[in-house]
Amino acid sequence: MEKSKELKFENPSFVSRIKSMLSVDFYRLFHTPLFYIFIAIAAIIPAMIIGTTGMGDSQTAALFTNTWHGIAVEKPIYVIENIGQYANMNMVFIFGGIMVSIFIGHDYKSGYVKQLFTTHAKKQDYLISKSLTCAFAMMCMCGTYFAGTVLAGALVGLSFKVNAGSLICALLGKVIMSLGWASLYTFLNIIFRKNFWISIASSFFFGTGILIIAAAAILGNSGILNIFLYGSSVYACLSSNFLSVIICLTCSVAWSVIYNLLGTYILNKSDVY
Amino acid sequence: MNAIEIRNLCKNFGEKQALVGLNMTVPMGSIYGFIGENGSGKSTTEKIICGLIHKTSGEVKIYDREHTDADVRANMGVLIEAPGCFPNLTVWNNLMIQATNLSIKDKANAVRKVLTMVRMEGAAGNKFKNCSLGMKQRIGIAMALLGSSKLLVLDEPINGLDADGMRIMREILTDIAKSGATVLISSHILGELEKIATHYGIIRGGKMICEMTADELESSCPRFVALKTSDMKKAKETLKEKFKRVEEDEQKEYLRVYDAENPEQVVKYLYDNSIIVNEIWVDKIGLEEYYINLMNGKGEA
Repeated sequence: MEKSKELKFENPSFVSRIKSMLSVDFYRLFHTPLFYIFIAIAAIIPAMIIGTTGMGDSQTAALFTNTWHGIAVEKPIYVIENIGQYANMNMVFIFGGIMVSIFIGHDYKSGYVKQLFTTHAKKQDYLISKSLTCAFAMMCMCGTYFAGTVLAGALVGLSFKVNAGSLICALLGKVIMSLGWASLYTFLNIIFRKNFWISIASSFFFGTGILIIAAAAILGNSGILNIFLYGSSVYACLSSNFLSVIICLTCSVAWSVIYNLLGTYILNKSDVY
Repeated sequence: MNAIEIRNLCKNFGEKQALVGLNMTVPMGSIYGFIGENGSGKSTTEKIICGLIHKTSGEVKIYDREHTDADVRANMGVLIEAPGCFPNLTVWNNLMIQATNLSIKDKANAVRKVLTMVRMEGAAGNKFKNCSLGMKQRIGIAMALLGSSKLLVLDEPINGLDADGMRIMREILTDIAKSGATVLISSHILGELEKIATHYGIIRGGKMICEMTADELESSCPRFVALKTSDMKKAKETLKEKFKRVEEDEQKEYLRVYDAENPEQVVKYLYDNSIIVNEIWVDKIGLEEYYINLMNGKGEA
């Protein structure tokens, strides 16, 4: 340490701050077994669903007739008629929520946030960094979910017939939605930061799409439900087109901005630790 | 310019008032011993200074700037309660994370430097969860030192340490102070604090009841002649006939004569009264006793 008492008030730029925080969050993500466990879970789940229900004997009706049903539904339906319409890549966003809760929960449990917020770090940086890191983790989960589906479909012998353009648009839509979901979960974990189990429960509750289920009960099978994150996920279906991707992108970015602003406001107004 | 200046600081937790118009001045370059009972508001004050909790009202300035300024905090190192480290990561990696958060350019060098300062070079590869309490506290200090902090805020850094741990910590803090940094340190272990602090602040019920320098404390703590004899009771009664203030120490091991001119005067007087003195020395009351007396409303001594 220098002998002088000179004071230099450094004011790191937003880019420099966010770069530092992202490098720490990504370092942590890649060095925690949690991340690898969840991307493995994302691969196993579609394989299990297709593997155990796709063989269709006399007792069990086949859940899917086409491999890509494991990725998305045929048409945007907000009120599901059978569990097969529910058990697709959207499930990544439920498991992703639990992963985000554990990831952010560790920050509070270890006292890391206390250490972080006594540096020049700003609350908004924290939310942005967490949302981006967790969105990346969910995108990876989407990737392994896709791989698990393809592998299981091939093993079971399901059809792979699909409009390739629509499939790509559906996949892109779901991957893009990861940012909105990650922001929602980050926000929920900020609200319930002092109670780890409640934050996990809330992530699961919102991850199952409870808002859209309630809204669909009132509004019916309407496109207006795209205003919900889950609605846009449903819209990313096997009949998707470029417009669907734009809707998912708009919805994902809009919700992440809203959740980040709300989360920043809450963190700024409340005691950190 | 003072390192920290607090005026009329109040903090309420619901109905409970944790701080009630606290005033505090921490001069630059000082080691400020922040003393108070459990629940007196020490940690709350430190958390407000560090920006971890919000004040209800009042003014907190650090180097004449608002304490909430993020760039002011870049000059501050903090250890509140325990260091915020990831238990499964190594000491080195935890420090590298903090160095990254501080946007330090040459991180490895900075981490190596602080590890040397806290005598932890050999433990860099240990997982944080496997470190002893003393090591964890030193890692906390190392974290606080990263980024060449000019102000350190340390909450009970010596609690729970063994004698050797305390000695190492004392050496570290003295080295830090020599470098010109300001250290605000709260502790219950007043004997240790007395060895390093240059300034003191005593808080009670969320209010600062006394602030002074080490020299002021020294002059406020009266000297006395301490002695041991084979018949303490008789010696006490005899001494009381000549001296106004004669007391037994708390453990009733020796007598204190506050208004004697020198030890010879006491020895001669007792000898004249057929009492042999076994041991005699000159002493003064310490910070701990001063503090206890103050808390018990016995005035300065």
